[in-house]
Amino acid sequence: MFELTAEQKEILAVVREFAEREIKPVVKEYEPYDRYPQPIVDRMKELGLFGLTIPEEYGGAGLDHVTYALVFEELSAAWMSIAGVLGTHSIMAYVIAAYGTEEQKRRFLPRMATGELRGGLALTEPEAGSDVANIQTRAVRDGDAYVINGTKTFITNSRHGTGLLVLAKTNPNAERPSRGMSAFIFEHVDDVPGFTVRRDIHKLGYRGLDTCEITFENVRVPAENLVGGVEGQGFKHVMSGLEVGRINVAARAVGVARAAFEDAIRYAQQRVTFGKPIAHHQAIQQLLADAYTQIEAARHLVLHAAAKKDRGERVDLEAGVAKLFASEMCGRVTLDMMRVLGGYGYTTDFNLERYYRDAPLMIIGEGTNEIQRIVIANRLLEKYAL
Amino acid sequence: MHIAVCIKQILDPEISPRAFKIDPVRKAADPGTASLVIGPFDLNALEVAIQLKERHGGQVTALTLGSDKAKEALRRALAMGADQAVLIDETQVSAKEPSVTARVLAAAIRKLDPVDLVLTGRQSGEWDFGQVGALLAEELGMPFVPFVPRLDVAGNGLRLEREADGGVVVVEAPRPCVASVTNANDNVPRLPKVKDIMMANRKPITVYGPGELGLGAAEVGDEANRLEVLDLFIPEVKSECEFIEGEDGAEKGANLARKLVERKVI
Ligand SMILES: Cc1cc2nc3c(=O)[nH]c(=O)nc-3n(C[C@H](O)[C@H](O)[C@H](O)COP(=O)(O)OP(=O)(O)OC[C@H]3O[C@@H](n4cnc5c(N)ncnc54)[C@H](O)[C@@H]3O)c2cc1C
Ligand SMILES: Cc1cc2nc3c(=O)[nH]c(=O)nc-3n(C[C@H](O)[C@H](O)[C@H](O)COP(=O)(O)OP(=O)(O)OC[C@H]3O[C@@H](n4cnc5c(N)ncnc54)[C@H](O)[C@@H]3O)c2cc1C
Repeated sequence: MFELTAEQKEILAVVREFAEREIKPVVKEYEPYDRYPQPIVDRMKELGLFGLTIPEEYGGAGLDHVTYALVFEELSAAWMSIAGVLGTHSIMAYVIAAYGTEEQKRRFLPRMATGELRGGLALTEPEAGSDVANIQTRAVRDGDAYVINGTKTFITNSRHGTGLLVLAKTNPNAERPSRGMSAFIFEHVDDVPGFTVRRDIHKLGYRGLDTCEITFENVRVPAENLVGGVEGQGFKHVMSGLEVGRINVAARAVGVARAAFEDAIRYAQQRVTFGKPIAHHQAIQQLLADAYTQIEAARHLVLHAAAKKDRGERVDLEAGVAKLFASEMCGRVTLDMMRVLGGYGYTTDFNLERYYRDAPLMIIGEGTNEIQRIVIANRLLEKYAL
Repeated sequence: MHIAVCIKQILDPEISPRAFKIDPVRKAADPGTASLVIGPFDLNALEVAIQLKERHGGQVTALTLGSDKAKEALRRALAMGADQAVLIDETQVSAKEPSVTARVLAAAIRKLDPVDLVLTGRQSGEWDFGQVGALLAEELGMPFVPFVPRLDVAGNGLRLEREADGGVVVVEAPRPCVASVTNANDNVPRLPKVKDIMMANRKPITVYGPGELGLGAAEVGDEANRLEVLDLFIPEVKSECEFIEGEDGAEKGANLARKLVERKVI
């Protein structure tokens, strides 16, 4: 079903080599200390990974979402945080490419493709996570600029990145709150008066990567940075971007689970108990077979959603299904593979405990799985309406 | 500066020994599910060539004698920074020995714009003959420098380092010449950029058959091969474990020494 082209295969082979040679050997220098992997990010710029899905006419590689998903799987199999460096950047680029004005595409996409402008997504607020429509951040038109005020939290790539797509309310009196929101392209290459990265949030996993609380105090953003040039479209733009985000998060879950499985099946053939390698105990075989089956199923869901997206079809259902299944699968599989490693899986001498700590983010981020189920059910009720 | 680099596509040498099988009839490795890669030293040669081009300008041509699949290897070379790629179709070629390979490559190199330097890997990475470079130099009537980790332009010629037992020999050679490249810290093959991979897929690959190179059966047919592979097999590695008896360390040591002498290890 997913026969890859020579070009796709070669790109994946290179990403795999990059992960093997330049990520895996150094994870332990960053992850345990929550240190930002700047040298890896610099190499990702050189390799052109920040421009993966940005159209070629704007300096990117213009790749399809199937390749995109498989690249995220590969990077996450090495270290999930590295996929996070690209994740919200790629969503921001997607929103600009899909909904930006021609002028915005020319101004921002080429610099995003090189990684000179490294983006992120600023939606979540202390009082509004799942309930995005409840955001309080305001953007008020003042001459040729908008003045932004508000607090955003859990914003990945906001300390080390140089740009954000910021969702703010432009019309607090809109009949439907979602129609009163707009998305802004915000750059902070240099210090911007009123913009502050307040604190780094310390996390169970997804370490090494900057996830921060940020505030906007009378921050002036040029009016030409309003995505699409029209107010009131922001919620729609961002939700469409999250479709792509769900594909990438689901692909990450596949990558992390695959890494756990591969470590475990290798270990199981070496570790001997009761006179034979534990891989020969049926209890272990059951775990390995179940893990593999679930990983394969999840990958197919991811690629199915990605391929459908590439055909230009609506994929909120497929992306939600893939995200829900893959992330729950990843949570189960990482724990099961830890069982295979016994006590050793619980120690920092092996990578399993890291996979296990990284897995829950895919369950919570990019729309919690409870929210996925709501989205899925709503779509199903639409589809099967009597 | 025009640099020709000869590369060979081989079965990935990193596959697990268990996955490695030999086809006893063809007396060749069974490709199985192993992926195909460029020989590791050939990649070092490509890297050396591209670095030289980056320093002094010029162009790099990658050549390979192989099947249609070997285009993948050429595309990787293009993505890394080679400017042209030439495939010599192996279907009409019987290259069981390095001299035939060298003859074919030499004929293809003569068809290119004049070269200043020809690079090969130090050895192929599967058969490990390590002869193509030298034989190629002979065919082309050029000087040959083996085991070169790095080189640079020096006046009208080249200055090359050659690895020797316990040291390095620095030599100068005129242009054109042939060198075989060995691995070093500063010629680790680069990973191509995503966009360069895409551009490489859009570049043309020149394909020659032996006829277009003026080579007939006498030069590249079965009769051109004097080497015959009689048998090809995976050696069986047996290991035994023997405990050395003894009352104490001294006695065990003496017993161990006696065993080693008996087996002519020491
Ligand atoms: C490491 C990390 C990185 C992140 N990066 C970003 C980022 O870059 N940009 C960004 O904008 N956000 C980011 N987020 C925020 C993330 O998107 C939110 O955490 C997520 O959407 C959930 O919101 P919340 O944490 O406010 O939980 P809440 O919305 O408070 O939810 C709490 C619980 O209630 C459930 N719940 C809520 N509403 C309903 C409902 N209607 N029905 C049933 N159950 C419900 C939820 O499923 C959850 O179980 C990040 C989060 C983390 C942990
Ligand atoms: C934090 C921590 C603290 C600890 N503290 C102590 C301590 O204070 N004192 C102490 O003595 N030990 C301690 N341990 C060791 C602990 O008891 C062992 O880790 C545990 O018994 C499992 O053994 P193992 O790690 O060698 O796994 P293994 O025995 O190698 O098992 C690996 C996997 O194979 C499975 N398996 C093994 N044999 C079979 C079989 N016949 N059939 C089916 N499945 C099988 C296991 O269930 C497991 O999934 C500690 C471990 C940890 C992680």
